[in-house]
Amino acid sequence: MKFFRRSKALAVKETRELFRDPTYLGLSFFIPILLLQLFGYGLSLDVKNLPIVFVDTNNSSISRQYIDSFVHSEYFDLIGITRNAEEARELMQRGTARVVVELPTNFSRNLVSGKNVAIAVTVDGSFPTRAGIIQSYISAINAKNNLELIQKMAEQYGLNADTLMPIEMRLSVWYNPALESINMIVPGILVLILMLFPAILGALLVVREKEDGTIFNLYSSPIRRWEIVLGKAAPYVVVSFIDYLIIYAASILQFDVRFVGSFWVISSAALLYCICTIGMGLLFSIITQTQLAAMLLTFLLTVTPAFSYSGFTTPIASMDSLGQFIAHLIPATYFMDIVRGSYLKGLGFEYYASDIASLAIYTVAIYALCIALLKKRIG
Amino acid sequence: MWFRLWVLIGKEFRQLFRDVPIMLIMIWAFTGAIYVAGHAIDLGINQYPIAIYDMDKSDASRELVSLLRKPYFKIVANLESDQQVTPFLDLGKGSLIVIIPPDFARNIEGRNAQFQVITDGTQSQTAMLAISYIGIITYQYNMQLLLDNPSASLAGISADSLPGIDSRVRVEYNPNIDHTWFTSLLEVFNMITLIGMLLTAAALVREKLYGTLDQLMVTPVQPLELFLAKIIPPLVLTMALSLVGLYVVVHQIFGTPLRGNILLFYGVAALYCFSISSLGLLIALFSRNIAQAMLILFMILIPMLFLSGAMTPPESMSPIMSYISLLSPMRYFMDFGYQVLFKGNGFAYVWLDIVGIIIFGTIIFCGSLWRFKKMIG
Repeated sequence: MKFFRRSKALAVKETRELFRDPTYLGLSFFIPILLLQLFGYGLSLDVKNLPIVFVDTNNSSISRQYIDSFVHSEYFDLIGITRNAEEARELMQRGTARVVVELPTNFSRNLVSGKNVAIAVTVDGSFPTRAGIIQSYISAINAKNNLELIQKMAEQYGLNADTLMPIEMRLSVWYNPALESINMIVPGILVLILMLFPAILGALLVVREKEDGTIFNLYSSPIRRWEIVLGKAAPYVVVSFIDYLIIYAASILQFDVRFVGSFWVISSAALLYCICTIGMGLLFSIITQTQLAAMLLTFLLTVTPAFSYSGFTTPIASMDSLGQFIAHLIPATYFMDIVRGSYLKGLGFEYYASDIASLAIYTVAIYALCIALLKKRIG
Repeated sequence: MWFRLWVLIGKEFRQLFRDVPIMLIMIWAFTGAIYVAGHAIDLGINQYPIAIYDMDKSDASRELVSLLRKPYFKIVANLESDQQVTPFLDLGKGSLIVIIPPDFARNIEGRNAQFQVITDGTQSQTAMLAISYIGIITYQYNMQLLLDNPSASLAGISADSLPGIDSRVRVEYNPNIDHTWFTSLLEVFNMITLIGMLLTAAALVREKLYGTLDQLMVTPVQPLELFLAKIIPPLVLTMALSLVGLYVVVHQIFGTPLRGNILLFYGVAALYCFSISSLGLLIALFSRNIAQAMLILFMILIPMLFLSGAMTPPESMSPIMSYISLLSPMRYFMDFGYQVLFKGNGFAYVWLDIVGIIIFGTIIFCGSLWRFKKMIG
C-alpha cells in the first residue's frame, strides 16, 4: 500500500483531530439520530383532524345527519355549527377553521323531494396541499352520501339497489399494502440525512484549514492533490457510513419499517452514496474561502433540492422537464430509488444497476473536480 | 454610545461587503434558491404518472380513460400485455396502472363491471390521494351511466328527479391552489432564518478565534454595542435581499398576490431576524470553533424548519410535537407571515405571534449578553 502512504498519514492525522474534539465527534453521531427520531415520530404527512365549521340554516335531522357524516370520518374535526355565515368567515380568517360548509335553508326539502341541492364550501387555500386534499375528501363524502340517497330512493321504488352503480373499482396496492406512511418517511429520511450530513462534514474539511492557516502545512509538504482529497475524505466516509448503519438499524428495530431487499445491496450503495456526498461537501470546501460560505453553499445546494426533487414525496415522472432535470442533477434521486427498492420492492440487483452506475459516475466526477480545483499554492 | 455603535456597524458592514462569495451566495439564496423551491411540486397530486392497460378497447373503456385526464393524472404509457405490468411499477416509470378487462363494456350492460387499479404504495400519501380521485371518477362515471339511461335501472324515475348534494367549492386566498405561492414564500421565510442565524454566528466565532474580540473588549466598547453591531448589518442586508426575493421572485415571477400591510410584515420580519440572529450569537458563544458552531446550528435549525407548521400543520402534529414547536420562533413567524401576506390580516389577528417572537428574542438576546459578560468578566 505504498501508493496510499501519504493519504493514509493524512487520514490518521484527521482521525486524531476528530477524536480530540469530542463535542464534534459526538455531534457527528448524535445529530443524525436526533433528526431520525424527530422525523420518524414527528413528521406526519397525513392530513387529518381538519378543523371544520358548518353554517346550518336548515337545522333539520337530514342536515344534522349530513354533518355527522363529516364528523364520523377521521379527517375532520368539528369546531362548531353556527347559523351565522359571518361568524364562520371570521373563524376562517383567524385560521381557527380550515373549511366552512354552508347548508342552505332548503337543504332537507330539496333532498326529500328528489332535487339537487347546492352547498357552498369554502376552503382555506393558504396551505395549498391541504386545500387540494380537503376538496377530494369532501367530494368523496358527498359521493357516499349521494349514493345512499339514491339507493334509498331506489328501494322505495322496489328496485335492486346493488345494481345501481354498474362499475366497481378493484384495488391492489403493491410494495406497501397498508399504505403506512412510516414506510415512506423513514427510508426517505435516510436518503436526506445521508445527503445533508456528510456534505456538511465534508464542507468543513479543507476550508477549516484555510481559515486556521494550517493549510500551509499541506502546501509545503510533498503530498499530492489527490492524496489530500483521499486522506481528508476517508475518515469522514467512515463516520458517515456508521451513521448509515445506525439509521438502518433504527429503521428496522425501532420503527419496524418493512425491509424486503438485500442488506448487502443497500449497504454497498450507501457506502458509495456516502463517498459521493462527502465529496460534494469537499468540493464546496475547496471552492470557498470561509467556513460560512461553505456551509451556506452546502445548505442551499443539498437540502431543498434533495427534499423537493429526489422523489421523496412525489413521483419524479410527474415533474415537468426542468423539474426532472434538477432531479437527475442530484445524487439523492438515484439513491432514493435504490433505498425505496431495497426497503419496499425487494428487486434483484440488476434493477439498481443503472442507479449504481449513475452514482458511481457522479462520484468520480465530483472527486475529479475536487482534485482539479484544489490549488496547492497561495492565492 | 451612538457614535461608537455607528462606527462599529460601519466596520461590520465593510467586512460583510468585502466578502464577495458570501454576497453572491446570499443573492442566490434570495433569488435562485427561492425559484428552485417554488418550482418544485409538493404532496398534492398533479399529473400523477399512470399507465392504461385497456384490454376491452370499447367505447365504455375509452370513456373511463378519458375521465382520467389532466390535471390530476398523466398517462405516460399504454400497456399491451400482462408482462409489462410488473416492470412498469418495479422500475418506477409510473405509479399506478388502470387495467380494464376485456368484458368491461359487456358487463356494464349486465350492471356488474369491474376494472382494476394497481398502485405503487411507496409514496403512500400521494398514492392514497390518487386512489381517492379514481374513486370519485368511478362514482362520476357511474352517475353518468345512470343519468344517461335511467330506465335501465330506475324504471319510472326520471333523471332530473334524483336527489343529490352538489358542492360548490371556493378556495379562499389561493383560488387555483397554486403550490408555488406557498412554497416560494416558505423559502423566503427559511432563508431569513438560515442567513440570519449563520451570518451572525460565524462573525462572532471568527472574532473569538482570531483574538480580535479581546482587542475590542479592552476598548471602551460595551458588550451591548458589540452585539448590536454584530446583529444589525446582516439584518439590514437580509431584509433588503428578502425584499428582492419577495417582490421579484415570489410576486413578479410566480404571480403570488401580496395582500397584507407590507410595513407590518417588514417590521415584524426585522424583529424576527433580530431574534434569530441573537440565537446565532448565543450558539457562537457556546462553541469553540466555527465547525462546532455550524454543527450546533444545524442541529437547531433543521428541527425548527420542520416544526414550523409548513410541513405538518399544527393541527395535525402529535400533541408533544405541537408543544415542542411552540419553542421555535419560526412557528410564530410562519403563522404571522402567511396570515399577513396571504390573508391580508392586520395586527388584531397576529398580535399573539408578534408577542411570541418578541418574548423569544428578548430571552435569547439577554441570555447571550449575560453569557458574554460572564465570559469576559
